[in-house]
Amino acid sequence: MADLNQTQREPAPEEPRLDGQPGDRELVERAQQGDGSAFAMLVERHQRQLYRLALRMTGSEADAQEVLQEAFLNAYQKLPLFRGEAQFSSWLYRIAANSALMRLRRKRRAPDTLAEQPLELVGPRFSAEGYLEPTSSSDWSQRADEKMMSGELGEAINKAVADLPDDYRTVFLLKDVDGLSNEDIANSLDLTVPAVKSRLHRARLALREKLGEFFDGAK
Amino acid sequence: MTSPIHHCKECVDLLGEYVEGVLPPDRAKALEDHLSTCPPCITFVRTYRATRKLCRNALATEMPKELMSSLSSFLGKYVPGFPCTKSETAAPSPVTPADGGPKKV
Repeated sequence: MADLNQTQREPAPEEPRLDGQPGDRELVERAQQGDGSAFAMLVERHQRQLYRLALRMTGSEADAQEVLQEAFLNAYQKLPLFRGEAQFSSWLYRIAANSALMRLRRKRRAPDTLAEQPLELVGPRFSAEGYLEPTSSSDWSQRADEKMMSGELGEAINKAVADLPDDYRTVFLLKDVDGLSNEDIANSLDLTVPAVKSRLHRARLALREKLGEFFDGAK
Repeated sequence: MTSPIHHCKECVDLLGEYVEGVLPPDRAKALEDHLSTCPPCITFVRTYRATRKLCRNALATEMPKELMSSLSSFLGKYVPGFPCTKSETAAPSPVTPADGGPKKV
């Protein structure tokens, strides 16, 4: 489990905002001094991305709602411990991801088994010499644009993402849907950057296989 | 001297960093040299890129306004000074603080 308490280190640098609004660091400092409206601005700023993450991790709007409530309340309660070592958004993602993962564990009634969760990620197949097998080389990329609005494709993507192991799905969502940097994801999930890259790549390969199956079936 | 990529597996292993544009130039060059002679890998790169694009588009869900209201209403109960104008209409809160209540900051 990620440690939410931080030791004293240099604060993470923060880019100035283009919209002229106060940055997260200033809002956090005001919220730490008891300014509830500053905390509300932080919620307003980050709730959409957290919702997307929670929804895709839990697969349920009701669960996503609970994850958001839990995550923001938890963040508020732990705000005095936040020292600015990481970006506030990374810290918040970590809290939300932990909350969603805990919820998934409780639902499965198998606490603390996530690390042993079997990996059934399917990737491309290679010959003994390292060449791609023909089954992995069907080109459906042109048809992807035509199918962009297909409800069936949307369902296939949702199912493929839901079938990823939890920790792979989380990395994929944070990177390819929400656009976080590998470093921010590593901070958020207490992973190394190489571990983030590896999970991300394997998740993409597995999703590519599933989409290939969808398009092959839709010929 | 750039070490060449002979096999598709090496090419696929580098794709993640290649499509993000963060692969070191010498490895990117080796990968592109391999692509110039390997149609299956060209297809693989196209479908790998398409996977990211399709998933991003399909998963970019908007947060419902009602949920924003109920979140605001929920936090308004625990965060002093949290502006909340829709507490009368918001949905009931499913979450109870595990420690029995909020801590004052």
